[in-house]
Amino acid sequence: MDRRDFLRFSLAGSSLLFLSPTGRAENWTSPLTGSASGLSKIEARYYQKLPDREIKCELCPRFCILGDKERGFCGVRENQGGKYYTLVYGQVASLNIDPIEKKPFFHFLPGSEAFSLATAGCNLSCKFCQNWEISQMRPEQVKNIYLPPESVVASCLKYNSPVIAYTYTEPVIFFEFMYDTCVLARKSNIKNVVVTAGYINPEPLADLIKVVEAIKVDLKAFNQNFYRDYVRGELQPVLESIKQIAKSKTWLEIVYLVIPTLNDNPEEIRQMCRWLKAEIGPDYPIHFSRFHPMYLIKNLPPTPISTLEQLRNIALAEGLHFVYIGNVPGHPGENTYCPRCGKLIIERYGYAIKKKELSGNKCRFCGQEIAGVWS
Amino acid sequence: MSRVVIVTASKTIPDIAKPDPRIILTMIKKGLELLAGVQKAEEAVALWFRPGERIGIKINTIGRRALSTMPETSVTLGLWLGQTITQEDKIIIWDRTNEELADTGYQLSTSGGTLRIFGTDSRNVGYLSEPTVNRHIGSLFSRIQAELIETSISLAILKDHGLAGVTAGMKNYFGAIHNPNKYHDSHCDPYIAELFETDFIRKKHRLTILDALRVQYHRGPSFHPQWAANCQKLVFSTDPVATDAVGWKIIEELRARKGLPSLREENREPGYLLTAERLELGQAQLANIEIIEEEV
Repeated sequence: MDRRDFLRFSLAGSSLLFLSPTGRAENWTSPLTGSASGLSKIEARYYQKLPDREIKCELCPRFCILGDKERGFCGVRENQGGKYYTLVYGQVASLNIDPIEKKPFFHFLPGSEAFSLATAGCNLSCKFCQNWEISQMRPEQVKNIYLPPESVVASCLKYNSPVIAYTYTEPVIFFEFMYDTCVLARKSNIKNVVVTAGYINPEPLADLIKVVEAIKVDLKAFNQNFYRDYVRGELQPVLESIKQIAKSKTWLEIVYLVIPTLNDNPEEIRQMCRWLKAEIGPDYPIHFSRFHPMYLIKNLPPTPISTLEQLRNIALAEGLHFVYIGNVPGHPGENTYCPRCGKLIIERYGYAIKKKELSGNKCRFCGQEIAGVWS
Repeated sequence: MSRVVIVTASKTIPDIAKPDPRIILTMIKKGLELLAGVQKAEEAVALWFRPGERIGIKINTIGRRALSTMPETSVTLGLWLGQTITQEDKIIIWDRTNEELADTGYQLSTSGGTLRIFGTDSRNVGYLSEPTVNRHIGSLFSRIQAELIETSISLAILKDHGLAGVTAGMKNYFGAIHNPNKYHDSHCDPYIAELFETDFIRKKHRLTILDALRVQYHRGPSFHPQWAANCQKLVFSTDPVATDAVGWKIIEELRARKGLPSLREENREPGYLLTAERLELGQAQLANIEIIEEEV
């Protein structure tokens, strides 16, 4: 039995999993197949008990205040009798083995395979969500398999996956499951990477940073109105998260999904690049990704490649060293160029590495140190 | 001018969680007669529903036995409608999940020949696969609301709500979509109104009945017995906004009687009512609502 078969049949025991090496998470099935009574009931972290069986969630900047039997905005954390529970501990709704470039991480163990998983739920509500069939669902509305941390780690070991990626939906909302898995994985020398929108409070983020090696933050826009109207969140906490991660030893990459007419203003991008350079320096990669019509925004075309190129040029002109174009396979903007000598040092096609001209963590041509985690 | 009828049971209902169906039926009939201004409740029903129509009765069972639409109320209504205007098996009493329904005391039934009682999470029911979009709303509708019924009654529990201010007939339809958790910020405004404005609700909704037999007037929507009053009332209207506005009035009166600050003073008045009025869904101002009160 090969790895795919193992994951498909042995772990899942159902038709839940479809290990696809490309595209977005394809492993959701029709909604409403789970059951509330089959969910987990593990006490959540980061909350405060209030009088009259109310609680205040302190995991993310929403600070949901919930009465008995109510769930937070994320749909996966519930007050039961004045105690707050995560309902998705080990309740995996999506599972794939992906190239790490798909996350995308371009400067973190290139060419690695990442054991990638998610539960249902999200603490944002992006109108353009690419995985809305699981992220905008409650856990009982999707099919889940129970895969506790020890099973996740055991599977990685058995099939030599060096990395676990918490991804697809919003890992912040399955914090407890993710954290415990990270701790266990580290004991087996498995690395942890997180793909997040960065909408998390400083205290839980500080705890998370201690147990993960890399975080990719989706910066949705450099504009509060966009966050309010299209994301249902706030920009400032995300910027604070980016700064907090950059100050730590955890590797950081940023993705910016460029949506025509909504967040592609060149001047705004210029301001964002200046902010990034000033606050976190020029060496953390930023990926300008191509939008495809999805979920509640189907009336806009895919991002013109010329727009992505224009924004990439702005970012490079502002002094950012590693600026990529995403979701355009074969585009030269997928490649890594040495910021000193300008030579091509990693050539990519989609998620595949075609050529790598690094010597350790240095450009093979000029010896320039290239920021990232390369081994 | 919209009309709202409040019917109060004059005799004390000994167990408010298990009211006598005969009393409930009397209250329902009287409410509908006064609402339509007719002599017989059967005539009233004929104004709003067509013979043989598939009618949904959306109830609220999140509070389980302590604070939900009880079978004694909804089943009584369903059986009577089944005898009056359509067939029993064309009535669906429903909510989000079978688990909530069963925990509240409902006997689930999906087969023909009798009232049908089930949740959206029943096998082969579920939600539509494509979201319905309206202004700030983007949600998957329950197939019950979207496909299995032709007309709809919101038979909702009247409660204080920490975020919305008041939860009543319009907010009850949050249970008809997959993602109500996304619509509780900003005091649920404009979400409650904008959800109601969608075709699946606005075009099907015929009647709101508020179950105010027991009203949670403070610290809702959870059940707190010290702030729950046995009011023994049912509230009727074809205007969904006016019904909820009157529900708000009932809650404010209970709060005032107990010396509690008004919802406005607590900065959580149900602003979605004014939004709903702006969307021309009904009347939110009490000055534009004729309230008829009756005891039976």
